[in-house]
Amino acid sequence: MNKNMATSLVRQTKLLSIVSSQLNSAACFRNIHCSAACLKNRAARIRVGKGDKSVTYEQAYHPHHIGHRKGWLSQHTSNLQGEDGAAERVVEDVFIRRFMYGTFHGCLADEVVIKRRGNLLVICAVMIQKLLPSKFYFLIGYTEELLSHFYKCPVKIEMQTVEEKVVYKYL
Amino acid sequence: MASSCSQALGHHVFKRSRILQIHLQKSWPNRSFALNSAADQQLAVSSPEIVIPKKKTWSKEAVLQALASTVKRDPTASDYRFQDDPYLTPKTSSEFKLFSLSQESGRNAAKYFINTYPKYFQKDYAQPHIPCLMPDSLEAQIEEESEAALVERVRMRKVRAAVDLFDQLQQAGTPVSLDVTNQLLDLICLYGDHDPTQENVPEQRIEETEDVQDEPQAKKGRGAKASDLLKASWKENNNAERIFALLSEPNAHSYSAVIRGMVKYGAHSKAFSFYTDLLNSRLKADVHTFNALITAAPEVKEKYNEKWELIVDLLKQMAEQKVKPNLLTLNAVLKALRRCGTVGRSQAFPVISEMKSLSIDPSLASYTHLLAIFYKPGAPVQGQTDVLQEVMNEVSGKSFSPQDPDDALFFITAMRICLDTKDMEQAYRVHELLGVGENWRLLGKDFQQNIYYARFFSLLCMMENIDVMLKWYRDLVPSVYYPSSNVMRDLLQALDTDNRLDLIPLIWKDIKQLGHANRQNLVEELLTLMAREKHNQEVQESFAECALDIKKIYDTGDRGKVLLNWTAGSLNDLISVLLAAHRTRDAWEMLKLFKTHNRVPSEELLNKFLVCVKEAGEVNQAVELVQISAGFCLPGTPKLIQRVLQEFELTEQQRNMLSDLEIQSFNSD
Repeated sequence: MNKNMATSLVRQTKLLSIVSSQLNSAACFRNIHCSAACLKNRAARIRVGKGDKSVTYEQAYHPHHIGHRKGWLSQHTSNLQGEDGAAERVVEDVFIRRFMYGTFHGCLADEVVIKRRGNLLVICAVMIQKLLPSKFYFLIGYTEELLSHFYKCPVKIEMQTVEEKVVYKYL
Repeated sequence: MASSCSQALGHHVFKRSRILQIHLQKSWPNRSFALNSAADQQLAVSSPEIVIPKKKTWSKEAVLQALASTVKRDPTASDYRFQDDPYLTPKTSSEFKLFSLSQESGRNAAKYFINTYPKYFQKDYAQPHIPCLMPDSLEAQIEEESEAALVERVRMRKVRAAVDLFDQLQQAGTPVSLDVTNQLLDLICLYGDHDPTQENVPEQRIEETEDVQDEPQAKKGRGAKASDLLKASWKENNNAERIFALLSEPNAHSYSAVIRGMVKYGAHSKAFSFYTDLLNSRLKADVHTFNALITAAPEVKEKYNEKWELIVDLLKQMAEQKVKPNLLTLNAVLKALRRCGTVGRSQAFPVISEMKSLSIDPSLASYTHLLAIFYKPGAPVQGQTDVLQEVMNEVSGKSFSPQDPDDALFFITAMRICLDTKDMEQAYRVHELLGVGENWRLLGKDFQQNIYYARFFSLLCMMENIDVMLKWYRDLVPSVYYPSSNVMRDLLQALDTDNRLDLIPLIWKDIKQLGHANRQNLVEELLTLMAREKHNQEVQESFAECALDIKKIYDTGDRGKVLLNWTAGSLNDLISVLLAAHRTRDAWEMLKLFKTHNRVPSEELLNKFLVCVKEAGEVNQAVELVQISAGFCLPGTPKLIQRVLQEFELTEQQRNMLSDLEIQSFNSD
């Protein structure tokens, strides 16, 4: 009885060692990815601080105010019943926002609003009057052309300029 | 009880059915019920046989076009190219150019990246495929020496590379077929043996036509090459001639290509000798060759008659060879007739009517040439206003599409003629034509548009009264047209003629916005007009504000740059305007400027000043005035002294000073 248990135990440990050695060999390697904890109740919220941090209207209201006090930053129809492509739209939006942030560096006064009308992609941005108008037009022409060729659809930019960032309150 | 119920029920049902019938009658008026037999008969008599129309198929953009037709141009908005923001709207014509060019250069920068790294732009999301959003393949794919490679280089418009490859093929002994050689000849003759400019030059962006053979039917975009044409010329023994010589049996197409290239690049007499070669080889020329030869005809002959006879000869040969003329033939003939003087005038109309009988409708280019034949620029008009009127009668209300590069010249030619003949009615008709259908495309590039509007405005300033002028002004400026300083001067003249000088401060604001505030002539004219007459109080107030504004322009700018120089006249006018509005203090400061800028004030100015000072009762100022006048040794000083002595109550000291001055001025006379 003891002998049987011992042999089975030994066999099991042997099995385990074989399995673990196989796991660690070059043939099969599967790792676990971990990200930092992203809590839902801390997303897109600027916490109240000393009172010296200026926030825009968009930043001041939290995500549960969307639809009540805020509008949507990205407008497309893929979230309707029976429509597909929502994930692709999200990826495109992320790319477009990074692109705009980088191309018009330091000039964006607020988040970029992306609207899709049929085939047309409209990027609405509010800019600070940091550059000369001719430089703005250079960047507008560049962005429109590059994004049109990238996404194979007409891309238009609708820009509005303000003298400085519009502060809603200080937190 | 039951009977009353049933009666009530029957009544109820009857009422309901009546209501139902009334509703039915209302909703289906064409149907007739048996109840209304009289109406039924009436309807049968009056309504004819109902014809069901054929089902209409609408194009995909019909709804959009219908919506677009409800929206008119917004006179407060700037051009569609620009963003709708006050910071980003151009206010002067130089800003307009700068912004549109910078946008174009941004696009070119993007195109450079797309074409340099095409692998990132290959993924095709679009259903259906959009070819213009794919990266261009600028490098030739096929590397080995073969005909296919030659065809590819021809298609990509690489002139030098194609010629080199052809030579290589010849040396290697590979036979190149006649078709391919013809294509090569077409390419060389189209570009005159140079490579076409690779970068897209802004404002001269050329749409690639599909086929090299389509060159003469070129769309408007091709006309932009004119500047290159002027520089390029047909060289002796260039590649085209050399390759042609290598051909064992050139066909009509080869001859045609070479002749057209020669005519395009200025080798006219050679073109004609080639043509005789063509005839000697018993080949038939096609319509494009003939068009080219007709274009070249005025260059090879000197006298008007000879030119015309050559053209007639060519046309006769065309008829013999049974080649049908097309619109470009008509335009070529008319263009040649421009160079034929009086012969042109007599022959122009017969040519048009003959072509019409061959069902060739004249395009706007034909009308341009016609107008140019009859209205030579700079020549006095001899009662030929009918031609313009007849032309306008023909073209009014029609929508034209671009068929000839010279179509774009119609509007500016017509407006020039209206300006020369001072014909306002025809000018309005020309402008109306611009609004019909697609004709706005034929106005040409930006600078042509500017010329057109400048002429239109000058004519309006000359001929129309000020209210009509201002209506047009508000409509067109600055959304469509940024007036130059000459046009603003014309506008001031018009204001002067119509005695609406009270509008000057508004015009001054516009002048500042348009960037003409640094033009000496314009500003001086403005000041003169303001200072000339006396107006009522409010107007004088507004003039004074305007004058102070102008003064700021004259003062040194931020960086010490002097924009305008004071002249005696401008200073005088400015001070008179200030005085007329009783701004004595400002005027007093300005008087000091005379000394600093070495200008001499005029006598009337000092007299006016004295009057003002008297009203204010400032004795000291009066004495100072006299001193200033004496300082400049003005001839009117004694009179001034007399006046001051008489009109003012002076102290002993002041009297002595004045008498000294009087003696001084006496002595200096």
